[in-house]
Amino acid sequence: MSADGTTTLERPVPAAREDARRSGQRLLGGLVNSPLTRLGTVWFLLLLVVLAGLLYPGFYDSGNLRNILSQNAPIGLIAVGMTFAMIGGGFDLSVGAVAAVSSVTVAKLTASVGLPQAVGLTLLVAAGLGLLNGLLVTRLSINPFVATLGTASIYSGAAYLISDSQPIVVTVPHFQWLGQGLVGGVPVSVWILAVVFAIGALALWGTVFGHCTYAVGGNREAARLAGIRVDLVQVVGYVVVALMAGLAGVLLTSRLGVGQADVGSDMTLDAITIVVVGGTSLFGGEGSVWRTGVGLLLLGVIINVADFQGWSGQLESILKGCVLLTAVGLDVLTRRLRARAGAAST
Amino acid sequence: MARATGGRADQPAPCVEVTGVTKRYGATVALDDVSLEILPGTIHALVGENGAGKSTLLGVLAGRVAPTSGRVRIFGEPAALGNPRRARAAGVTAIYQELTIVPALDAAANVFLGTPLARSGWLARDRMRARFAELCRDFEVTIDPDVAAGGLSIADQQLLEIMRATQADSRVMLFDEPTASLGAPERAQLHALLRRLRSQGVTVVLVSHNLEEVLDLSDEITVFRDGRIADARPAVAWTKASLVEAMSGRRTALVTRTSRPPERTATDPVLTVTGLSAPGVLRDVTLDVAAGEIVGVAGLVGSGRTSLLRALAGLTPGAVGALTVDGRVTRLPRSVREAQRRGIALVPEDRKGQGLVLTASARVNIGLPDLHRSARAGWLSGRRLTDQAAEAARGFGFDPARLGQPVGQLSGGNQQKALLARWIYARPRVLLCDEPTRGIDIGAKEQILASLREFAGQGLAIVLASSEFEELVAACDRVVVLSRGRIVSVQRPGDGTVTPATLLRAAFDHQPFVEDSHVS
Ligand SMILES: Nc1ncnc2c1ncn2[C@@H]1O[C@H](COP(=O)(O)OP(=O)(O)OP(=O)(O)O)[C@@H](O)[C@H]1O
Ligand SMILES: [Mg+2]
Repeated sequence: MSADGTTTLERPVPAAREDARRSGQRLLGGLVNSPLTRLGTVWFLLLLVVLAGLLYPGFYDSGNLRNILSQNAPIGLIAVGMTFAMIGGGFDLSVGAVAAVSSVTVAKLTASVGLPQAVGLTLLVAAGLGLLNGLLVTRLSINPFVATLGTASIYSGAAYLISDSQPIVVTVPHFQWLGQGLVGGVPVSVWILAVVFAIGALALWGTVFGHCTYAVGGNREAARLAGIRVDLVQVVGYVVVALMAGLAGVLLTSRLGVGQADVGSDMTLDAITIVVVGGTSLFGGEGSVWRTGVGLLLLGVIINVADFQGWSGQLESILKGCVLLTAVGLDVLTRRLRARAGAAST
Repeated sequence: MARATGGRADQPAPCVEVTGVTKRYGATVALDDVSLEILPGTIHALVGENGAGKSTLLGVLAGRVAPTSGRVRIFGEPAALGNPRRARAAGVTAIYQELTIVPALDAAANVFLGTPLARSGWLARDRMRARFAELCRDFEVTIDPDVAAGGLSIADQQLLEIMRATQADSRVMLFDEPTASLGAPERAQLHALLRRLRSQGVTVVLVSHNLEEVLDLSDEITVFRDGRIADARPAVAWTKASLVEAMSGRRTALVTRTSRPPERTATDPVLTVTGLSAPGVLRDVTLDVAAGEIVGVAGLVGSGRTSLLRALAGLTPGAVGALTVDGRVTRLPRSVREAQRRGIALVPEDRKGQGLVLTASARVNIGLPDLHRSARAGWLSGRRLTDQAAEAARGFGFDPARLGQPVGQLSGGNQQKALLARWIYARPRVLLCDEPTRGIDIGAKEQILASLREFAGQGLAIVLASSEFEELVAACDRVVVLSRGRIVSVQRPGDGTVTPATLLRAAFDHQPFVEDSHVS
């Protein structure tokens, strides 16, 4: 009954009105605390999928479902990385710029080195940019918003410089396989996304590193005093998210067939939206990769339906904002109810 | 385990050697050239007034604080200073005065924080659960391993930290006022634990303001005063009186029982609450307090003391009951502001989480409930604020020179004094104090209780919840004893027959509430 489950009282027998009020509260508390409603976004998603099926007859076609996934694969990768950074108490506004740098870098490199080398080097560059973010935040103690706002501007400028502000057309054969190929009827990019999600979820849930990430994000000082290398954990978070942004840049380039400095323009905010809609805390210490998965599908489905309805990009943007605020608002509301239901210890 | 300080030849090598450690914070010298040896397998107590430097020394040993100069050796090896990770690796762990819990993580994860059981990088959840259950059995508690630690009571959170330290196989364990937030039974359990640790060869360093406890438990006692060691002797060579004298540096008459005001003629209660219930924590509590009266609230941890005070202060949303303040019937306050408007103020038990703005100065913290009073036409006057804050703080022995210092830089006890001063500054009609003397040194504790009596004498109605029953007996006109959310007994220490043991017995007594016992 109480939050720690140690105090139990016999059921009181007050006046009838009182009784009704209490059982109402109990019912509310039970509802709010049950595992089903905790995953409010899951219900939201299911509802949406049903609605989408009604609104849009072709929604369940395998072609359409495949489309939803492959179109959202790059942003999904970034969102997984962002989940790591945010749970660890960090934040990264530079992911779009890192994706842009990666896009133009991989396009340039394919002209001179082999395909695997080009991809490998690009990912290395992306990881390096993440390392820089991480060092700025931990070593120089610059606020993550400010630090990555600064590097976002720098990286984005660099992407334009590298590409001379021109799209770089990739002519190498096989390069498009990453973004457009199919394996067993499923796009390669979707396979990659699935593997990254699985690894990410396992790493956060089941490894010592995951444990440390939650601890650092949840209470940095407590984690430090418990002997956790808090700086290292946070730096790894920034490297992971940048690496994912790099991979996303490569996938996008492969799908479009050109490297461009403006591929990442919307990606940063979209990725954050997905993570937050999924229910990962902006303040760190709470969240999970699979929640981000739910957030990704939610946004993917909404955009898909909006596309079908022929809505413009501007309308889509308004819609995204509404979804974000609704999701976060619901989250705050359920938290408040939960706190009320299990109020007070001692 | 008496040990003469003289004959050093037959002693084992010290496990902790502190040589010439100095720690400065700007102009403040927290530790001044401190040298100390701690022998393995002993309980070594550090005592001293608030701000004497005890926590700072523990911080140095545990790697939390990097000293300005000096050396530390742990088991003969030079310690890496200012690095908690290396300190842990050397076998030193600390349970800090301000708890270090990760609120969002579950209880089990908090116990294994930093050193989770794992096999090649993968968490071994089953083993952690089994071990957690084992620890709970050892400590004779039931804590749900899945509940978020932030939702647990302070006592439970502290237990998690102690479990964490025992779990980490520490050879030296530092406890900073571990019993301050515990009730009598938990305290006894902790004492047993400390003795058990010692018998297992663990060295325990204990900081405590409870001198009986210190004399009873420890082998050696070192007294700190103003950042220096005033004296160090084996425990058998100390008495309570000599400790107090060494701490304060002057001879003082020891703990006279606070003089009791003459029996008052019955006055109308300032605050009356009837049928106060909150789901799961409080059941049909009826209580009244008159002006000039101090009503104590006794009970075991989890009995509902904090919930009662919080409900009166507008912090328990689910609570129901009828409230009368100054003869006017109103509803229970739904927010702190509403409570304040009715003249009800709460000094919360968790000073960091619920009380103080750590980055703001002490005077701003004190003036916070009513900054308008120190302002003219919206502009805050620093001088008026300082004056008024100083006046409020004086009653609690808060050094006025510290009023400008950020609260986060004050020692634990001085933070508590600032918090008390705040609510006196607010000039309430009813003051609810939850564990007001937690972490307060023995001299200041007397002073605080005496001040509370004095404020009561000026017409304030006070409700005082405390797990130190001695304190309740000494200061209160009436003590209600809570058990499982209900009042089970009402005692009147005024007639001289009530002892702390009476209250403890009553607290254990689960008999239903006797009808007429709350009539004042
Ligand atoms: N971070 C800090 N910045 C500035 N001064 C500090 C800081 N931490 C502690 N101090 C100062 O160092 C001195 C010693 O503080 P310390 O916390 O060691 O006292 P203590 O003996 O533990 O007292 P208490 O019994 O009240 O806990 C105090 O004067 C305190 O104000
Ligand atoms: Mg201290």
